[in-house]
Order: sequence, then structure tokens, then C-alpha cells
Amino acid sequence: MISARAMSLPKLRALQSSDAAAWDEAFRWLWPGVFAVAELKLRPYLPNEIEDVAIEALEDLVEKVHEVRTVEELKPLAASIAHNKAVSLLRERFAQKRGEGKTESLDATTEDDGWREAAAGSSPLHDLELSELSERLGRSLAELKPPQGKMLSDFFLHEMSYEEIANKHGLAVNSVGVYLKRGLEALRRIWGREEK
Amino acid sequence: MNSMNDRGFFDLAMKVIAGRATVAERAALDDLLAREPALRTELARLQGDVRLSKEALALVDATQARSAELPEYARERLQTKVRQTLGRSQKADKSGRNQVLLQKWAWLLGLAAATAVILLVALPLSRSSKSPVIELAMLDTTGGTRGTDTNDVALLETVTKGARVRIFSSANELRMWEQTWPADGGRPEAKIIYDRAAAEMKVFYRSNGKTFERAFSVEKNLGDTLEQVNRFLHSHPPS
Repeated sequence: MISARAMSLPKLRALQSSDAAAWDEAFRWLWPGVFAVAELKLRPYLPNEIEDVAIEALEDLVEKVHEVRTVEELKPLAASIAHNKAVSLLRERFAQKRGEGKTESLDATTEDDGWREAAAGSSPLHDLELSELSERLGRSLAELKPPQGKMLSDFFLHEMSYEEIANKHGLAVNSVGVYLKRGLEALRRIWGREEK
Repeated sequence: MNSMNDRGFFDLAMKVIAGRATVAERAALDDLLAREPALRTELARLQGDVRLSKEALALVDATQARSAELPEYARERLQTKVRQTLGRSQKADKSGRNQVLLQKWAWLLGLAAATAVILLVALPLSRSSKSPVIELAMLDTTGGTRGTDTNDVALLETVTKGARVRIFSSANELRMWEQTWPADGGRPEAKIIYDRAAAEMKVFYRSNGKTFERAFSVEKNLGDTLEQVNRFLHSHPPS
């Protein structure tokens, strides 16, 4: 394994001119993100595919390195590629399962519903084009400054209460809602349908 | 609705949407909605926002992960992709970089198995019209040394940065390659043969139809010898 610690951002020009050392830096920097995104989508259904999807996402990224203007754009782009690859894989495998017609039992039906939920585009993010997804993800990374982004994750993803969030971030309980409201508004601006 | 009521509605709505409201909080929200039906539209909008936000936040969080470490096999596969897609780096061709290259060679050549491995290298010294062609070849007569492994070829390509790698499985093929020079396009070519068993490095330099040959013994360490080779190839004509 190659350590992800103490790394610096590679120079975009070095990457574009195929500098192996710069790409080593880039891969170490980008790997945790693409792996986590692939894991996010595939862990419940295709855990054995996570690493392959992450590697393939970085391979695709290499082909797109001349399309970005700054090296910082690579992170959301790589994550978006991994996301779309994982979704495509889920859809492909779900279609195969449906073709096999294996939904006789209640358990199988429940499992099938899970696949459908994961694969069939129920997420509002699934239908975004790669460039659109990458651009919105990049804006989210740039605009959701701490503690706002963390507080949103704490409430919506980690199911923490207002009180727990207030304690964690050293804030008054009645200010948590203010942060959440502004954060939601920011996310709506970035990801909302009106911008499509 | 004033801002205090607005915040109260938002907080109640968030807790209800997240499924973390008490019975009293749920009743308070119902009461608010009964008094101000227009808030139902706002509640529906918040429900949509929350659904979207959960998806987006999960992706944002994952993108910022820092803990996973790149497996070594993945690095090699990805570096191969870089070379196939973007070509080999020209960085090593630039003048002033040759010292670094020589140090890398010293390390590279130290990796070669002790027996029956000869490296042929065409030094990429500079991009001037008088610079030798960029090429690297390897002979592995045992077929089992690490140099024949695909990963090692990738490693050779990485450390030589720009040199083309060729692998020969027989001494005859090596000799043919050694004696075959490209049509004279005005650019010289240098071939270096390192014989580790003999502790000797032979250099063939061809320019303007003439071939110069010189042998260097590897007395102290390979790096020193490579520096001598470098100086030899930098003199035009070599002397």
C-alpha cells in the first residue's frame, strides 16, 4: 500500500505531460475519494466490484486530464466518474437479474426492490451528465465551508440531534437550525432542479 | 410569518422529515399547518430539498474521504494507463535532468538479476539535433529473472521516462539489434551495454555514419560509471 499522508497537490501541467511522479501524487490524492464513492453506491450490492470501479474511474480520469483548467477540478471529476460508473454497473446487473426472473420468494422480492432502488435512477443525482455532476460536486466542495457542511452531514447522514450537533460544534442549540437552513438553501442553489 | 415563527416551522419540519420529532413536536407542526395552510407547500419543498441534500451530501462526504490507501497493483495499472494515453514523459529528455536520470539508472540496474541480464540503453541526453535517440532494451536469457516481468517493464519505463523499452530473449537477437542502426537522419544514436558479470559497460555511439566504441569498467559503483558515460556522450564527437 502507498501512504496517503503528507502529500501535495500535483501540478496540472506535469500531469498533462505524463509525468509519472506527478501522477503518483495524483492517484494517492484521488484514491480515497473515488474508492469511497464507489463504496457508497456498491457496498450493499456489489462489494467485490468497488476496487475495480475505483481504478477504472481513475483510468477514465487520465483520458480527461486535458479537459480541466485546474488540478482541483480533478477531485470532483474523479468522484463523479466513479459515481456514474457505479450506477451504470448497478443498472446493468439489475437488468441481468430481472432477465433471469428470480423473484419468487418474499426475500427475493425485497432484495429486488433494494436493487431497483439503488439502480433504477431513484436518486436525483443519477440522471445528471458527468460534466454537470462534476461541476455541482465541485461547487459543493468549495461552498459548503465548515462547520456548515459538517453540520448538514451530522444531521442528515449521521442522524444526530440538534443538541448533539450543538455540543459537537460548540454552538447554541437554537443556532443549529440556522446553519441547517442556510446549508439546505446552498444545496438547493447548487443541486436544485431549477438550475437544470 | 415572522422570522421567529419561520425558524420554528423550519426546525419542526426538519425533525419531522428526519423522523426524529417527538409527539409534541409533530402536534405543534400539525397545528402550524392547520393555521397556515400555505406552509404545506413549503413543507413539501423542504421534503424535496432534504431528499436531494441527503444524496448530494453523501457524495460530497465520500469525495472528501482521506483514509483509503492506493494498492500497489492499482498504481502500476494506472501508470500503464498514463503511458498508453498520454505517452511517456518528455521531462527526462530535458537538458539538466540527466544527472537525475543517471542516478535512477544506477538504482534500476542494481535491480537486475545477477546472471544473464544485459541492459541496452540509448541515452536520451537532450532534445537538440545532436542528441542520441531515445531507446532502452533488455536481454533476459534465463526467462525467469524479474526483468521479464510486465511490472518490471513498467518500472523500467517509469524510471527511464521517455526511453522505449525492448526486451530480447536471446543473445543473437541482442547482437542483431546492437548492429542495426537506423537510417541516418542526422541524429546520432547511442547504445550502452552493461555486462554486470564482467563489471563492464560498453558504449556504441553512431553519428554521421561513423561509429565510436568505448568500454568503461564498473569499478566503484554504477553511478560513477554512468557519469563517465554521460560525459563521453556529451562530447561531439565523443573522444
